[in-house]
Order: sequence, then C-alpha cells, then structure tokens
Amino acid sequence: MKREADDSSRPVVAHDLVASYAGLDALNDPLSRRRFLTLLGASAALAAGGACSRIDRGGILPAARKLRSSAPGVVSHYASTFHEGLESYAVLVKTREGRPIHLQGNDLDPRGQGKAPLHAIADVLRLYDPDRLRHSLIDGRPAPWQEVLGNLARGVADARLSGRPIVLVTGAVLSPTRRTLIEELTRAFPTVEHVAWEPTVSDEEQAAIRACYGSAVRMRPRLDKARVLVCLEADPLRNGTPAVAADFASRRRPKAAGDPMNRLWVLEGALSLAGAKADNRLSLKPSLAARLALALARALSERGLPLPAGVSREALAPFELPAIAREAGLPLAKLNALLTDLLAAREAALVLVGPGLPFAAHVAGHLLNAMLGASGHALEIAPAATPTRSASLADLRAVLERMRAGSVGAAVFWGVNPAHAFPDETLVRAAIERTPVRAAIALHPDETAALCPLVFAEHHWLEAWGDAEPWPGLLTLQQPTVEPLFDTRAGEDVLLGLLNHLGVSVAPTYSEYLRQRWRREVHTASALVPFERFWQASLHDGIVKRAAPPSTTPPFQAAAVADATSAAIRDQPGQGFELLVVEGLLHDGRYANNGWLQELPDPVTKLTWGNVVTLSPSDARRLSLADGAIVRVQVGQVAVTAPVFIQLGQAPDVATLALGHGRQTGNVASGVGANAFRLLQRSGGPALLGGVSLTPTGASIVLPSAQPYQLAEGRDMVHSGTYAEVTRPTASQPVESLDPPTPQAAHKWGMAIDLSVCTGCSACVVACQSENNIPVVGPEQVRRGRAMHWMRIDRYYDGGADAPRVLTQPMLCQQCDHAPCETVCPVNATSHSPEGLNQMTYNRCVGTRYCANNCPYKVRRFNFLDFTSTKKAPETLVFNPEVTVRPRGVMEKCSFCVQRIEEARAEAKVEQRSIRDGDITPACAASCPTEAIVFGDLNDPKSRVSQLAADARGYRVLAELGTRPAVTYLAEVKNPSSGDNERPVTVTRPGERHGG
Amino acid sequence: MPNVGRLMAGLLEGLAPHTLDHFTRFWLPIGAGAVAATVVIVGWNTQTDRFARGYAPDQPIPFSHRLHAGALKVPCEYCHSGVRRSRQAGVPPVDTCMNCHRVTKTDQPAIQRLAFLQSHGEPLVWKRIHALPDHVFFDHRPHVAAGIACQTCHGEVQTMDVVSQQMSMRMANCLGCHRDPHPALPPTSTIQRAPENCNTCHR
Repeated sequence: MKREADDSSRPVVAHDLVASYAGLDALNDPLSRRRFLTLLGASAALAAGGACSRIDRGGILPAARKLRSSAPGVVSHYASTFHEGLESYAVLVKTREGRPIHLQGNDLDPRGQGKAPLHAIADVLRLYDPDRLRHSLIDGRPAPWQEVLGNLARGVADARLSGRPIVLVTGAVLSPTRRTLIEELTRAFPTVEHVAWEPTVSDEEQAAIRACYGSAVRMRPRLDKARVLVCLEADPLRNGTPAVAADFASRRRPKAAGDPMNRLWVLEGALSLAGAKADNRLSLKPSLAARLALALARALSERGLPLPAGVSREALAPFELPAIAREAGLPLAKLNALLTDLLAAREAALVLVGPGLPFAAHVAGHLLNAMLGASGHALEIAPAATPTRSASLADLRAVLERMRAGSVGAAVFWGVNPAHAFPDETLVRAAIERTPVRAAIALHPDETAALCPLVFAEHHWLEAWGDAEPWPGLLTLQQPTVEPLFDTRAGEDVLLGLLNHLGVSVAPTYSEYLRQRWRREVHTASALVPFERFWQASLHDGIVKRAAPPSTTPPFQAAAVADATSAAIRDQPGQGFELLVVEGLLHDGRYANNGWLQELPDPVTKLTWGNVVTLSPSDARRLSLADGAIVRVQVGQVAVTAPVFIQLGQAPDVATLALGHGRQTGNVASGVGANAFRLLQRSGGPALLGGVSLTPTGASIVLPSAQPYQLAEGRDMVHSGTYAEVTRPTASQPVESLDPPTPQAAHKWGMAIDLSVCTGCSACVVACQSENNIPVVGPEQVRRGRAMHWMRIDRYYDGGADAPRVLTQPMLCQQCDHAPCETVCPVNATSHSPEGLNQMTYNRCVGTRYCANNCPYKVRRFNFLDFTSTKKAPETLVFNPEVTVRPRGVMEKCSFCVQRIEEARAEAKVEQRSIRDGDITPACAASCPTEAIVFGDLNDPKSRVSQLAADARGYRVLAELGTRPAVTYLAEVKNPSSGDNERPVTVTRPGERHGG
Repeated sequence: MPNVGRLMAGLLEGLAPHTLDHFTRFWLPIGAGAVAATVVIVGWNTQTDRFARGYAPDQPIPFSHRLHAGALKVPCEYCHSGVRRSRQAGVPPVDTCMNCHRVTKTDQPAIQRLAFLQSHGEPLVWKRIHALPDHVFFDHRPHVAAGIACQTCHGEVQTMDVVSQQMSMRMANCLGCHRDPHPALPPTSTIQRAPENCNTCHR
C-alpha cells in the first residue's frame, strides 16, 4: 500500500523552497515582486511535481514456497503456554502473515475455558518492544552468540577448576523439560547451585504451606464448589487465574428470586476487587487478621466443629472472638453471622488469605480450611510435581553475601532482575561485581544485565519452545509463533551450549532437547500412536492430558498451629502505619516497559502510570494530605517517595504501595513510580510492614487518573442490590422520539453485560486495546482526560466514605438507536447502520468533536496527537491489519469489533448460510473470564443476548434520555447475610432520581 | 497573518498608479490563466494516477495472462487460490509456476529464472497493479461467493499480455454495483442489493 515517489526532482524543489523560506525569515524589508513571483513559481512547481509523480504501488511479495495451511490475509491460531510466577496458562496465539497480533485462552484447556489472564493478553506487546535486546553483548558491545557462549564456557571451566561454586539464578521453573535440563547441568557439574527465585511470591505464604502440609504443595481454590467464601485481605478476582474468577461467577447468576448464590465475605484493610464484589465487607486492619482467624477457629470449635488431630483447644485459648472484635472495631453480630455461614456450608466454605499477610494468618487460614473440610474439596491440594520455588529472600541474600565475599566462581542470572527486585541494591551490585564470571540471559537490557559483562539476548516466549505442567496430569506445550525478530536464542540454549562446550553430549538446540524428552517420557504413555503424530497432535492442541497420579490431600500438620499462635501473640500492631506492599499490574516489574499495562487504569484506584500510597480519608485528613501529595514512606532504615491517593473504603492506619514500578531502564518504564521492592527487607513478595512512618515532602503532582470523579452522588448508573431490589418493577415512561424509526435489517447487534459477574478485572480493556490498535498516550495526556481506551471500567462509590458501596460498570459505546452523536456530525462521519451499529468512518471525520460533546456516555475518543508515527520498529507489527490505524484529528470509539462481524459475515456468505449465534465474539467478550459480556443478534429470539436482554435484571444506562442503547446491563445481585440489616439500601430506579 | 499583510502593503507601496493598472490589465489575467492551465494540464495528466485506469507496469517476467488464462484456459483460481478463503486473492509462489514449468518451456530465460528462484527458495517480486487506500477493507470472498466473475472488476484479463487496471478504484464505482448488482451477478442469483453502510468497507 505504500506509495513511493520516483520523481527525483521533487526533493530538490522542496529543498529550494526551504532555502527560499530561510531567506524570508525576518521579512523586515518589503518583498520585491520578483521575489514574490519566484515563490509563486516554486510553489506551483512543487505542486505540479508532487502531483505528477507516477504511481508506484510497490511490489507484491508472494510466499517463496507453497504454504500448507496459511494464506495471506488468513488468521492462524497456534496453541502455546504463558508462564508467570508459579502459574502457567494454556493460550491461543492469533497470528496474521506470520506474526502474533492477539492472545486468548486455549479453549481445550479444561480449567481455562478459553480465557487468558490479563498479562498474557498484554504480553504480545513486549514481543515487539523496541527496547528489547537485539544482540548478545560483551561489555556492552554487540557480539555473536557463539562468542559470548565461548567466553562464558571458559569462565565456567575456570570456576570449575578452582573449585568455586557456579550459581544459576532463575525464576520459578514451571517447565518439566527445563527442570530436567537444569538437573542435567547440576548432575554434570556438581558445583552448580541452582536458585529459583520469584520476587512476587510471598515467603510467609510459602513458609506457612510448608509448615501446614509438611512439604511443598500446590493449591487451587475451587470457587465453583464454595458456597461461602471468606477473603482475608485476599483478592482472587484480580490479575489471577481466569478459571478462579469463572468459578466464582458460576454461582452468581440468579435467574429468579431465591436462586442459590455464593456469599462472599471480605475482611480487609485495603479495598480490593473482591471487596468491591463482597456481599459483606468488613474493614479490618491487616495486622489483626491472624488473631481474628485464630479466634474464628476457636469459635468454630466451640460450636462443635472438631479441630484437626493434634491441635488442642488450649492452643487457641488466647484468641477470644469478642475481645478481638472489640479491638478491631467489628460488630460481633456480623462475625457471628459469618460463623453461622461457615458452619452451614462446612466443606463448601473456603477461607482465602492474602499473600501479603504474615505466617500466622496463613496458618490460621489453613487451619480453618482443614476444620471446615474445605481442603480437598473447595481447596484442591496436590503435591507439587514441579518444585516451583526453592529460594526465599533469605536464601538469595545468603547467596549474594557469598558472592560479595568473593567465594563464588561464576554467576548466571536467567530471566530474573535482582538489581531491581532485591531490596538491597548495593548488595546486589557488590555481589555481582565481586564475581569473576557473570552473565545475564535477558529479554531486555535491564538493571541486572547492566552489571554483567556477558549478556545473552533471549527469545520472547512467543518465539521459543517450551512446556509446562500447570497441574498434575496436565501438560501444555509452548511453540514459537513467529521467526525470532532479533538475533536471539532460547535461554535454555545457553545451558545446552555450556554442556556441549564442556564435553557433555546433549541435543544442540532446545527444540530438539524438548522433542527428545517428550519422546522419552511423555510419549510412552500413549505409545500406540507414532511419536510424530502424537507430537503434531500435541502441538495442535497445546494440551496433553495424562492419567493424574492418585492424589491424596496431605494431612494438616498440627505443629504449625503452635508456631502461628506464638507468632500472632508476638506480632502486635506497633506504632505508625501498617503498609501493605501488594502486587500491582506490572507483576515484578517485568511488564513495566509495556505501555498497555502502564496506561491500564488500576482496577481499584483508576490511576495509570506509576504507583501510589493509598490512604484512608481519615488519615489523609489527619496528615493534611490531598491526592497527589508526595510522601516519604520510611520503613526502618529504608525510604521511598511516592504520591498519595485517598482511597475510599480503606481502613484507618493502613497504607498500600504496589510492586513492579520504579524501573531504571526502558524507554517506557524508567522513572515511572517508586520501587517498593526496596522496602521488603525481611521477607520477599507481597508483605505487611509495621511501624511505617509517612512524612509529607511538601511536593505534589497531579495524578494521572482515568476517572477523576468517582462518587455516584445517588445517581443510578449502576444498579446493585438483592434480587428483589434490582428486579422491582418501575413505572418508567418510554421516551418519545422525533427521529424516524430505525430501518430493520436481518440482524440487530446488541450486547448484554452482567454486572453480577463482572469483577472489574480489566482484561477486556487490554484485549480491546490489542484488537483495535488503540494507542498509548502517556501520563500527561491521561491527566488531560485524553486516554484512548474504547472500553473502560467505571468505578463509583456510594454511601459513607469509610464503608462505601463500590459499584463497577464496564462502559463502551452503547451503539444507541437514537444516537445523539450522529445528529450533530456536520460531515456524516458517524452514521447508523441498518444492523444497529453506530458507525464511525475515520476517513470522513474532520475532527469537530461535536459528537464527543453530545455523547452522554463519554465513550468517544479523539486523537489529539499523532500517536503512530513516533513508533519505533518493530512496534507497529503488533497492529491488527483488519482495523484502520487512526491519524491525528480523528474521532474514534468502540465499533462492537465490526471487523469480527464482517469476518463472520464473509465466512457465512462463503458457506451460504446465515450468521449463527456465537459466530461473533468481540475481543472484550472473548477475554472476559466470567463471560459477563455477551454479544449477539437481538433479532434472533433464541440468541443468548436476546434472552439476557429480556432478563428481569436488565436495564439500560441513561435510558431516560431516549437514546435507546443496544447494550443491556444486568443489575448486580448481592447476597448479604440474612442477619444483616445495617446495610443501607439506596438502590434507586429510573424515575426516582434524586440529585445529579 | 501579519507577514502577508506587510507583504501586500509593501508590494502596493512600491507600485505607481499606472503600474497597478498595468498589473490588473496584463499580469493578473496571464497569472490567472497560467494557474488555470496548470490545474487542467496537471489534472489531465494525472488522471491515471487518480483513477488509475490503464496502469500497466512492467512485470519482472513477461508472464502473459492471454496465453495462460486465455489460450490454455487455466482457471483463475489455480494461481489466485486465496480468493475463496481470504480477503486477498493472492499471487502464487514460484512453486505453483513450476508445477508445469518443470517440464514446459524450460529453455526460456524467464522460466530459467523461475527455476533459479525456486531452487534458492526466493520469491518473485511482482509489481502491484490494484491497490486500495489503507482505510478500505475489500474482501474477495463474498463477491466470489455471489458468483461475480473476476472480469467484472479486473477486466478481460484473459486477453491481456500485460495486465492493466481496468476499473477505477473509486468509491462511486463500488457503490454503483452495490446499489444495483444485477448486471454483475449471474442471472440465477437471488441477491437484490448489496450492503451500502459505511462499515461494510470502512472500519
């Protein structure tokens, strides 16, 4: 499509004109006629020269070889696997012309149900990150891979001869084949020490699991089996496994009054997505959670629930529920209602403890689950087939201390960035610099790679082979979906190269190694099929199910309780603030250079770009702090500075700060936010820190908020309440319209959004951004209200500031039948399709912005600046070729993914049938873990969307304006405990509006 | 625009009254005529650029559609095989040419070049003839499925030695057919109208 000018005179004319203009600069003396005519002639020559250029439409580059499956313009999906932390997810990678452009879950995955986690969807952008390492480096200079490998091999051989240990630091090893390779390496070279360290895994949580079950086990909450769910500072709905949110939603779709629903109790200090969804939310200081949980255990045992063998009631004697309720300021009646719920549900009750809470709280949670019988039922426990994590922060510190002492011969850092994620930066720096041979295997030139003379440029996971074992009996494969963009290799190739260099014969490449291991160890289970066919089928499906080893729930170890009780009594809340260091949207900081995730509004605060210290309104008042005031957060000897955000619903004396920000490298990431890892001196991962002091610095910034005003003010955009409340019939009048009736076509596209199961996780926002080529605009533009997201999640608060009702509402173009935007467009750039779509035609738009001003839903987005031409290669490769990339000065908005509608229509026409229900899934609906978003044809009475649109809970936002939206919202249904009469019922319906 | 004002003021200041008269009688008509002539000449000469009819660039090999599609009656879809499964009809890889030319006309230099490309796994880069702006999304599939002959838009390709563009790729052309598709459709077709809303092509 690119036009290239072949008129060689053209640049010369332009150059002359520029020279003439240069002579014009001052224009002090009157311009002579001759000069005027010269200019006129030059302009005419330029115009003629420009217009005369012969067309050259470039070349057509057909495939060099006949392709078996794909053709240009045809989408191919490949199954692969995404790893993060201690989890791995089966995903499908959508590719066009051999490049990945979008991600979704693997629909063959029995747990994932076709949904991918938010980070997987966003990670396709990291593949095309222009800041990636393009070559391997020696002392900062590009060098061939073999040369770097040779240098490392020589260094490792020297270290071996000197008898000093060789340290290999990696992230959690979820892949059985990678694990086999590392084992092979440590067997061949016994001086190799492997440290698998995940910075965002809580040491306290892991210690509690080991204490309670005797060994490393893996846990999987089964919320589909949980009738009562208690979250202590835990947020299973955020950033997590899509299956967990789906399970939760499976019990929250009442069809009629009295339908069974689960009940979500949340006791927390900082507002979470679970807290926003909670049926009963109690504000609790996190430091009291351990004692409260132990008191609940005691109260349950007093009400007849047996304690696990070996746990005596005396051990729990110090934890009296009334006393702790008094200390925490919680109404005892509510806690009694919670106990009643737990006793009624028994094994269908589940207690989840947030990763940041201390050891004692985790043990108490496991104790409660063991008492209730949830372990093995609503909480699946399996022996950890893959020892996923062996190192705590203390383990890594010990290794680094030895490195600093000079007793380590060589160190290789693979996919970890301790220079960012380890609290003590000086220790990391000294340790690495005192090690004679040091190498990093990295995707980016990150803080750790900067300290290493040898840097191996690694594949992105979309370019690499691999496998994973998400759960015993389930294997997933990871396959490359694109030719490597740069001169990179798989990280495993470094280890294989080392082994080969040092005389151990192994496969030359990791892809070969992976096949060999699968042939040896996985294929044997189904040896009736030839390996090649088995391998192709496995790659196609991405998933291999094997007979799961018989699983027995390991018994609860009573000894853990004594440790927990003594710790709970010892760890009384001290003076000052309690700081919850939480995992934000950037994980351990590895996604910090991803603009999509930096600009994704935090699901709770709605802030973009950077992290904030959240404070309760009362604390902010006490310290005279406003939003954006910069404070110094001091924990012991360490301090970071970050701006304050006043978070409604937060408990007094509690502050939070998210991990993953404050990177020092990367064009997007560097300098954004504060590095909260520096505060985690004692234990790794999300943590609760006591005795924190906050000191205002006097400085302040304007926070880049996607939604600056968040109070509902009694308006009724979001309907929420018990089933009876939200289905109360209303006497709303249909609004008369002067517009002509909309023409009828075969289809009428519509959408239904079930607020009862929408968790606000924001996966849809990222999926929409990926599908529709939506630009990232940066913090300055976000502050001006110019964020470009077509899909946003609105967050409103209602009721009191300390215990507000939290309302969540996805908002996108409502595709109104009587659209206010269409009537004001002077150039007919936005118009109505016969199928009910509010069409936006970019090439007609002249940018008056009348439409955006007339839109009551505020969903139209304007390209105030050119966000595309500044992109560096290869970033533009992430664009979806089916969607126009919008230039500056053009309005845009949600199109209901019209490219997917047209694709389905073309396919239907080829197959000479009509479009069926389910043929079209917009990106938001496809990514929604709880299937809260359903799209389809409202003219088809049997379609899912028609049935949902006719649901008793259905309503339309701002219907009283007569816009006739095509999006039906289903009111959120809450299931508060029956003994709870204190919750203010302030649901209002159309016609009862008060204030606005 | 103070500069323009000063420029004009300066221009008039330096002219005596009779010079102004001379200017309006003589230079102004000539200037206006020159501008008009430029517009007409440039407009006429760039017609093919704007409407692109008759654009027939030299291709890397002297491939003749008249011979292959006309005389030998090779079906269009033998080479342009993407037309029923993709938006783009596609241009074949060298492998497709060599299905026949492994044994046919192997003495011709162009065929030897194809054989060289095939043995080295390299593509043959053709010159593009039909192109649409980036904001237009044309899909071959529904058109072929409706039974519209390739020649309706691409002209009688089977009579061309060098392919040239026959139809102007303007929106009016698309809409004309979408409003009244009968001339393009086979007589048995039941299709009355094709969609005319913006999203059909623009998204």
